[in-house]
Amino acid sequence: MLQKLKFYWTMLWRPSRHFSLAFLTAGGFIAGIIFWGAFNTGLELTNTETFCISCHEMEDNVYQELRTTIHFNNRSGVRATCPDCHVPHDWTDKIARKMQASKEVWGKIFGTIDTKEKFETHRRRLAENEWERLKANDSLECRNCHNFEYMDFTKQGQRAVNMHSTALASGEKTCIDCHKGIAHSLPDMTGVKGW
Amino acid sequence: MKTFTTIGFTLLLILSGLSAVTAADNIATLRGSAPLNQEGEAPPMPRPESNDQKRKRNYPMQPPVIPHNVQGYQVDMKVNKCLSCHARKRAEESQAPMISVTHYMDRDGNFLADVSPRRYFCFQCHVEQTNAKPLVNNTFKDIDDILAEEGQ
Amino acid sequence: MNTDRRTFLKTQAVATAAAAAGMAGAQASNLVSDRSKTELQWNKAPCRFCGTGCSVNVATKNGRVVATHGDILSEVNRGLSCVKGYFLSKIMYGNDRLTQPLLRMKNGQFDKNGDFTPVSWQQAFDIMAQKFKESLKAKGPSGIGMFGSGQWTVWEGYAASKLFKAGFRSNNIEPNARHCMASAVAGFMRTFGIDEPMGCYDDIENADAFVLWGANMAEMHPILWTRVTDRRLSNPHVKVAVLTTYEHRCFELADMPIVFTPHSDLAILNYIAHYIISNKKVNTDFIDKHTNFRRGVVDIGYGLRPEHPLEKAAKNAATANDSTPMTFDEFAKFVSDYTAEKVSKLSGMSVKQLQDLAELYADPNIKVTSFWTMGVNQHTRGVWVNNLIYNIHLLTGKIATPGNSPFSLTGQPSACGTAREVGTFCHRLPADMVVNNPEHRKITETLWNIPAGTIVEKPGFHAVEHNRKLKDGVINAYWIQVNNNLQAAPNLNEETLPGYRNPANFIVVSDAYPTVTCQAADLILPTAMWVEKEGAYGNAERRTQFWHQLVEAPGEAKSDLWQLVEFSKRFSTEEVWPAELLDANPAFKGKTLYDVLFANGVVNKFPITDIEAGFKNHEAEAFGFYIQKGLFEEYAAFGRGHAHDLASFDTYHQSRGLRWPVVDGKETRWRFREGSDPYVKPGKGFEFYGKPDGRAVIFALPYEPPAESPDAEFDMWLCTGRVLEHWHSGSMTQRVPELYKSFPDAVVYMHPDDAEKRGVRRGDEVRVISRRGEIRTRVETRGRNKPPVGLVYVPWFDASQLINKVTLDAIDPISKQTDYKKCAVKVVKV
Repeated sequence: MLQKLKFYWTMLWRPSRHFSLAFLTAGGFIAGIIFWGAFNTGLELTNTETFCISCHEMEDNVYQELRTTIHFNNRSGVRATCPDCHVPHDWTDKIARKMQASKEVWGKIFGTIDTKEKFETHRRRLAENEWERLKANDSLECRNCHNFEYMDFTKQGQRAVNMHSTALASGEKTCIDCHKGIAHSLPDMTGVKGW
Repeated sequence: MKTFTTIGFTLLLILSGLSAVTAADNIATLRGSAPLNQEGEAPPMPRPESNDQKRKRNYPMQPPVIPHNVQGYQVDMKVNKCLSCHARKRAEESQAPMISVTHYMDRDGNFLADVSPRRYFCFQCHVEQTNAKPLVNNTFKDIDDILAEEGQ
Repeated sequence: MNTDRRTFLKTQAVATAAAAAGMAGAQASNLVSDRSKTELQWNKAPCRFCGTGCSVNVATKNGRVVATHGDILSEVNRGLSCVKGYFLSKIMYGNDRLTQPLLRMKNGQFDKNGDFTPVSWQQAFDIMAQKFKESLKAKGPSGIGMFGSGQWTVWEGYAASKLFKAGFRSNNIEPNARHCMASAVAGFMRTFGIDEPMGCYDDIENADAFVLWGANMAEMHPILWTRVTDRRLSNPHVKVAVLTTYEHRCFELADMPIVFTPHSDLAILNYIAHYIISNKKVNTDFIDKHTNFRRGVVDIGYGLRPEHPLEKAAKNAATANDSTPMTFDEFAKFVSDYTAEKVSKLSGMSVKQLQDLAELYADPNIKVTSFWTMGVNQHTRGVWVNNLIYNIHLLTGKIATPGNSPFSLTGQPSACGTAREVGTFCHRLPADMVVNNPEHRKITETLWNIPAGTIVEKPGFHAVEHNRKLKDGVINAYWIQVNNNLQAAPNLNEETLPGYRNPANFIVVSDAYPTVTCQAADLILPTAMWVEKEGAYGNAERRTQFWHQLVEAPGEAKSDLWQLVEFSKRFSTEEVWPAELLDANPAFKGKTLYDVLFANGVVNKFPITDIEAGFKNHEAEAFGFYIQKGLFEEYAAFGRGHAHDLASFDTYHQSRGLRWPVVDGKETRWRFREGSDPYVKPGKGFEFYGKPDGRAVIFALPYEPPAESPDAEFDMWLCTGRVLEHWHSGSMTQRVPELYKSFPDAVVYMHPDDAEKRGVRRGDEVRVISRRGEIRTRVETRGRNKPPVGLVYVPWFDASQLINKVTLDAIDPISKQTDYKKCAVKVVKV
């Protein structure tokens, strides 16, 4: 067994005897494209709501909560899907987030939040993760759709104008500072600033 | 032509006669025009009034109605969305009216350091207003009007 | 500027005083500071709405109610009201108040198909008396009927009951408490032999756990919910379990939020009993001394019309209330059938949920208060569920001590005080007595001073039967007071409406507003309401509360009491009592029912001068004596010395209510326990004295399926109920603009998946259709109620969406109470 392994190991590291360098380079390139494409396609598959709610943890809890909110159901029918808010659009950040997600797969396999009760005990921590991420990136996923530059204050309520034209405009606050729990139920907010 | 006019006129008479019967019979003010054995169209869903305009209270003890949309407001054991603006500590930043002092009193009238748990669920007394138009006018007289009448 | 001499002098005086104080005319123009003007006349009154029985303060000025707020001195609500209570000031001022009698007429004559035409009270009573006399002559006492409610004041219900049972000798009188509380009553009578809760609201401040069995207290009993909330949030160890068939606002406070399959509560309760026994948590000392075990009759049907296949199939419909003794071991074996796994399957609850719930009851260190209302009572096995809840409290001995309380909540302000205690049911007499017991009839006849044999032995028709009998033309003259039964009664398309519009029938409706019931009537009597008359209500914790007349009723509107008593003058004993009865009691010859029932030396004993100074009393002025006091004192004689003791009339006008039995001036908070209840004999510890042997009954009762369940065509459960902002049929609250605007129209609450499946979305117009009828409404997929897939919820307050066209008139065969919570419907896009 060990010998066999050794044989293949040395073969792999020996220069090729039968194929030209050009062939090998081109082959590698094509293979790379195929792999790359497959990888990205696969990645994008995991970037759909259908994928997200294929786990009952997501479907029974957060998805049901989302359904009754304005980010799901509203006058113009433009709606946010899970990845719109929870997966960065920028590639490097996306990969970083996907690597984090491997932990979630672990959680899925070991049933960390497989009942409503368990989900509830983790709700604060899970929410905090998202608040921290959005705070750190200046609510990037919010801003992918809600661009401050294009807000028409004459179309907003007075309360919204007051906040948006001051704290948000100056950069003192970011979206998530005030808009927590707009798409899902809030956890116990004891000690959270502003609550 | 004349016959048609006559027929039309007769029909109109019959119809108006019928509607007269219905009108005198149709006394249930809250029901609309559908006879009791039929069901009329359901009115479109009203929208919440959300203009942040304070409404005059009918009397000082009346809990103010909510002048803004509260769709999805979470008020449960984890969090109270209303208090995130209307609590004493939040009112300065939010510029929302602070909940009244009575809300800090317990069952025995002692003032507590924070909102009394018995007042925790806001919607038991404070309700949203939709743009639905009342079916029946109310002739409740404001005390100011009574005092004014008295003064005359 | 016109200034009269008086005002001038006053201004002068103020100016002089101001000058004297060194401030030159410092009177803010926008402030009325003259106390003689701003002073309001404040009085107490119980709230007009639910069975909680909050006390409110009512301000009047110049004959108008100008403000209301929660009564700080009231133990029930301590200064709080729910949104309805805060708006009580406006309920009397809808601009469509009825102010004169209206009769359907054509060509100056009564005509069933005529238009409503104003008539005098004289004309109204003429035609009404004529129709009642015709029916009595043709059909006897069973040809007439009356339908009231737990909104009658104590003396109104008492006068109505007396007029019907003694005067007309008809037991066809029912309150709409039959639709509301009858299962609770039967539950109490079967388990304890005496009606109404042993505990009181003070249990809330003493409990460690609350279990809600089919009660949405957050919306239906908001002020009690504030007390539960206060207890839960102030004391972190307290747990709240909410059992329901759809998610509602109580989940906001729930430590154990539980949605179970409709009707499986029977199995869940038997599982808990099984859990308590198998985990050796039975309080053996308690059950040995204070309980008996009995096996109830099963396969009892659903109270539908006799020709219905379900009734033909039911073996024991006629003996539904029977039971036979059994031993504890037999009982233990009976409930052992209800294993966690089996019940989990039936109920949709997880095994863990079942265990956690059962443990609340089983743990001897947790004081548990169970609350229930319509989810339990409006149930074709509602009496059983009541019995089964008592089972688990009795097995653990968690009863009649502070915080340990099986507590049946009520829906109407005087469901207890009037409907139940006065006994305005077709089978009842005051103080828990019944018509088919000769001893009870004798006691009643003696106290009423009427000939022996006047009261008829056979119970009358129950509420749902009233409508069937009207449709069938068996009852022909019918009087409805203090409720909106066309909107409230089940299956109105097939039973109620055809019954009211049956050409053979004459329907009279007394109401303050033109409801749909009025619209289906032949004669409408304009009626005074709430503080337009003197009144008394009894709430769910046995608290009797009084109020004074504070304002005048509009136009010719008169109170129900005046109507009942005045109407009695239209009948002579010769017209309504058989000759044999009069021949044997010649002293009653030539008298009117008014003479016999009300001017009887007891009811007319108290002079008008007894009325507290400063208060008007329209009825006393009309009849020449303090009729409310006379009726109350005559009625109170039934209960005094029999564990239903009421205090004296005048006491109640001074207090914020007292909980009966009131013995030696002291109210009773917990009954059946020594030291707390004066009726428990010394040394007994506990005594369930409603039963001859002082023992409460633990019943073995199985799970049986509901009358109708969803199938391939009618594929969803329909549950009906109320919303916080409207009380019952909305006839008062829908006329308060603020309440109307907060919840103007009924909607059908459904799960988004169910909406999607049917191709509908929020706001779409749909038809909710059952085998019996349909309504048109709008889809609501979010908001306060979140039904599970397969169930829809429609509130019944909306007169333009009569959901009771859809409901099924199946009832509990023991209590005769309708199941408004379960029938099969389909939802189709319009």
